[in-house]
Amino acid sequence: MASTPAVPIEEQLKQLNAARKLALENSAYYDRIVKGVLPVIGPTSSIELKRWGAEFLAESLATPVLSVRDKESLTLSVLDTLKSLLESEQDDAIVLKASIAAAASAYPVVLRWIIHNSYHTEAWEQTSAIKSRILRIWDGAPAPVRLSCIKFAQRVVLAQTTSNGQEVKYGGLDISLGMVPANHPLLDPRLMEAEATGLLDRMLGVLQDNSNDALLVDATLNCLSILIRTRPSTSNRIINCVLNFNPLKLANSPMTPKNKVLMKSMEKTTRMLMINILKRHVDPNNQHSGRVQQYVERLMRSRAEIFDEAGRKRQLADQAAAQYGDLKRQKMQDASAAAPEPAAPAQPAVIPPLTPGPQTLAAVFTLTNNPGLQAFDATSIPANLVAKIVARTLNTLDQSVLDFAVNGIRSRLHTLQAAAVTAAAQYAAHGAAGLPGAFNPATAPLGVEEDDDDYEPNLDAAEDTEQILNKLDNAPPETALDEYADPNAALGLGPFTLAPPPLIDADVASKLSSAAASRLFGPLSSLSSEGPSKKPKAGINRLAASSYDRDSWLTVATRLATRSTFGLEEEEQEEQTSAVKSEEGAVSHPLASTFNQSFREMLFTYILEDWRPRIEVAVAWLSEEWYNDQLTKRTGLRNAPLHYETWALRLLDGFMTFITAQDKVLTRFLAEIPELSGELLGRLKTLCGDPNTLGLAMTSLLYLVMMRPPARELALDTVGGIWVEYEEARPLAAKYLSKWRPGWVEQQMHLQAAKAVAGGGGNGAAGIAA
Amino acid sequence: MDTANGNATTASAAPAAPAQPNGHREDPGGFKLKFCTVCASNQNRSMEGHLRLALANYPVISFGTGSLVRLPGPTITQPNVYKFNETSYDSIYRELEAKDPRLYRANGLLNMLGRNRNIKWGPERWQDWQVGMPRVKKETDKGFEGMEGGVADIVITCEERCWDAVIDDLLNRGSPLNRAVHVINIDIKDNHEEASVGGKAMVDLADSLNQVAKEEREKVGATAFDSGSGAARASFDERVPEVIGEWQERWPNLPATWTLAWF
Repeated sequence: MASTPAVPIEEQLKQLNAARKLALENSAYYDRIVKGVLPVIGPTSSIELKRWGAEFLAESLATPVLSVRDKESLTLSVLDTLKSLLESEQDDAIVLKASIAAAASAYPVVLRWIIHNSYHTEAWEQTSAIKSRILRIWDGAPAPVRLSCIKFAQRVVLAQTTSNGQEVKYGGLDISLGMVPANHPLLDPRLMEAEATGLLDRMLGVLQDNSNDALLVDATLNCLSILIRTRPSTSNRIINCVLNFNPLKLANSPMTPKNKVLMKSMEKTTRMLMINILKRHVDPNNQHSGRVQQYVERLMRSRAEIFDEAGRKRQLADQAAAQYGDLKRQKMQDASAAAPEPAAPAQPAVIPPLTPGPQTLAAVFTLTNNPGLQAFDATSIPANLVAKIVARTLNTLDQSVLDFAVNGIRSRLHTLQAAAVTAAAQYAAHGAAGLPGAFNPATAPLGVEEDDDDYEPNLDAAEDTEQILNKLDNAPPETALDEYADPNAALGLGPFTLAPPPLIDADVASKLSSAAASRLFGPLSSLSSEGPSKKPKAGINRLAASSYDRDSWLTVATRLATRSTFGLEEEEQEEQTSAVKSEEGAVSHPLASTFNQSFREMLFTYILEDWRPRIEVAVAWLSEEWYNDQLTKRTGLRNAPLHYETWALRLLDGFMTFITAQDKVLTRFLAEIPELSGELLGRLKTLCGDPNTLGLAMTSLLYLVMMRPPARELALDTVGGIWVEYEEARPLAAKYLSKWRPGWVEQQMHLQAAKAVAGGGGNGAAGIAA
Repeated sequence: MDTANGNATTASAAPAAPAQPNGHREDPGGFKLKFCTVCASNQNRSMEGHLRLALANYPVISFGTGSLVRLPGPTITQPNVYKFNETSYDSIYRELEAKDPRLYRANGLLNMLGRNRNIKWGPERWQDWQVGMPRVKKETDKGFEGMEGGVADIVITCEERCWDAVIDDLLNRGSPLNRAVHVINIDIKDNHEEASVGGKAMVDLADSLNQVAKEEREKVGATAFDSGSGAARASFDERVPEVIGEWQERWPNLPATWTLAWF
């Protein structure tokens, strides 16, 4: 068939298309048709036929109509043609692209066939030759061919790594290294996996180089998802690689339309892959999701910045253009051009004194001579913008200029104050009617008095009307003018004292402080606690508020509870003792400590609400209390209250009511709090009454004995006490005691025996006495 | 208003269609890219694009990415909801016409459905599309010619959300066909006027892309002999972003996004 040059190529293509249609209509024909066209599309055929043939092979080997099993014979029959197409056709990108795509579809099918039919070495040799040919032309090939090479490599990696079985079972996606038996005569799983790792690295190279070639980057990113999802051995490597990839690198190059498309494309494609992973990838250790999430958020922010900035710039330019086109503005410029100083400096060399008579606040603070600027209504600028401008200006302003301006304003205010005092005196002397016309509300704020010249020496007639108009626009309503006219209310700035705050009695103060305390607990419910696994152990170096999470907030809370009024309590205590001579009452510190006390109460309730997970908070709190007590002791104030013991006891009592045999947290609590006392450990005795919790109490004590040498004696004393008091606990207690205090039990036995004898005698004596 | 709109659509597209792609068709190579248009409900924007591209003689199919076909109802809370792949445009047309002919004629729905039922049988869902499944039994569909293989070279979505859905779906499918596809989003507002503008923009984009693809097809054989200039040697795939960039300059109000994905 290949030797039919008589038939024009168009005619041949028409026939081939008809054959293809037949196969599409009925998949049963695929086998026959594919095998039938192979001679037509061979290496000696014309380029058109080869292109058609390569694309038809790619389509046939990929068709979802046939199952992998059905494709086997089809695939094996085309290997030879594929190989020759790849080798003969050096230049035509279309033939190469389609042939490599066909090879990508063929690869898993052949691999599966070889797994089950190891005798068929020929097919495997052909496939290996195709593979090495493709991998050889990969670098330096035209872009479309490289695209296909990336995809081919992806299929090889997919087929030669171990699957986790989560892929769909079609298209050969499920063919994986796990299917290769270890003793296969042709296939060595270890070599295959090594090859896959190498190919994956080669694929990811385009990301590692942070390439600008969006085509290759997108093609790579868009075939990684299934690897991450279903080939666990690749996922770490890929995710790390993508996380290190910066798709917005192009932002620094000129924003040509093409660059914009490329950058947007890479950013969006990367983000889509990451979002897809977050949604679909079942990450057993959850090790990546946090980082991936952060990466996605960062990408979105940078993208918004890059494109937003462009948007903003355009907007500003538009605004400027609009303003330059503005009629009014042009007039103003004309006006200022008429003035002797067209380019008026921002800061006048001399601060002009104020005109006599009432002034608006704006006028008092106006330093510029430029009438345009004077008329500018600053309130039209949004507050946040003003804040930005002010901050930036202050930052760059020369100190001397600022001082100069401040002094100028100050002197103006002084003059005004002096004027107000005299005016008030006049007002008092003459009454309101006797006031001069300067206070006429209709004219005063318009600044048309004859003295105006002093204030604005460069004023000419044209400016005057302009300014009057502007002022009229901004003029406050009549009533306000009346107020201005009142000399007492005018900007005379008479002496002013802030009203003293109302006195707070103890009651209100305690109410307020408990309200303040409860507000501090507000955020706790909404703050997320970090996962227990990834919590960094900052230890003693921890800063209270290094981050805004529950832990930091709790540290702040505990420190506020313990230390905020340090040094104040003592004073009150002393006052109290000296004045009332009361005994040290733990409850009645009136002001400063109410806050602390209510805070402590809240902390206490907070912990007890869910004490098992919050035992850490309790330990942290008690450590703070203990530290605070140590500080207090060091100050040498004798009567200062100590809190540690009280709260440790209260907390322990709190837990005790709920404790069950499984609550190992008790052991932990006792081991971690900074100081133990006999009384504290004594509380454990109540647990020994119940056979269920007896074991827990004893284990906790044993732990203390073993792991906390400074508390050993104390703990042993408690065990001894338990031995004495609780009959049921004796076997266990005796076991510990015999190990840690040999001879003690026997001694006790003797003592008790002796006591019993003595007690019996005593009773007898009492009886006799009665 | 609605009929005027519809007439304008067909009237403007009909003369344009032979005018533009005529040159393409007379070409002996006659290579044509295969297109796929996608919107949320496969009713308005994607169907407008489908029609325009089909009239320009491109092979084209269309889909929706939504979970259901949603059309406006009497109030915003009472949309008319239909299942993808199971409801024909004709049945929707007849149902709405029976419900409230005045309302649905006034808001342009009947006109739109009337157009759609002449294009293909019913709305199809992207996620249910088996890529590569032969579409040989759809001869009556507009733009059927060339779509027999059931794959597209270019997917054009009409909304960022749809683009996201398409990419996400392609990632989930795992690209079994090993076939590259350019997925391009054009942001088009979901109303009749914008859809019409968007349709024109789509044809413009299709023409530009096809021109480049055709050059590649025609040229490569020749470059084997005289290896032409650098720019001319660049392949179709490489030139897609450039073409989109230029197209974006012509249509600045239809922001575009592009990626190369895999079927």
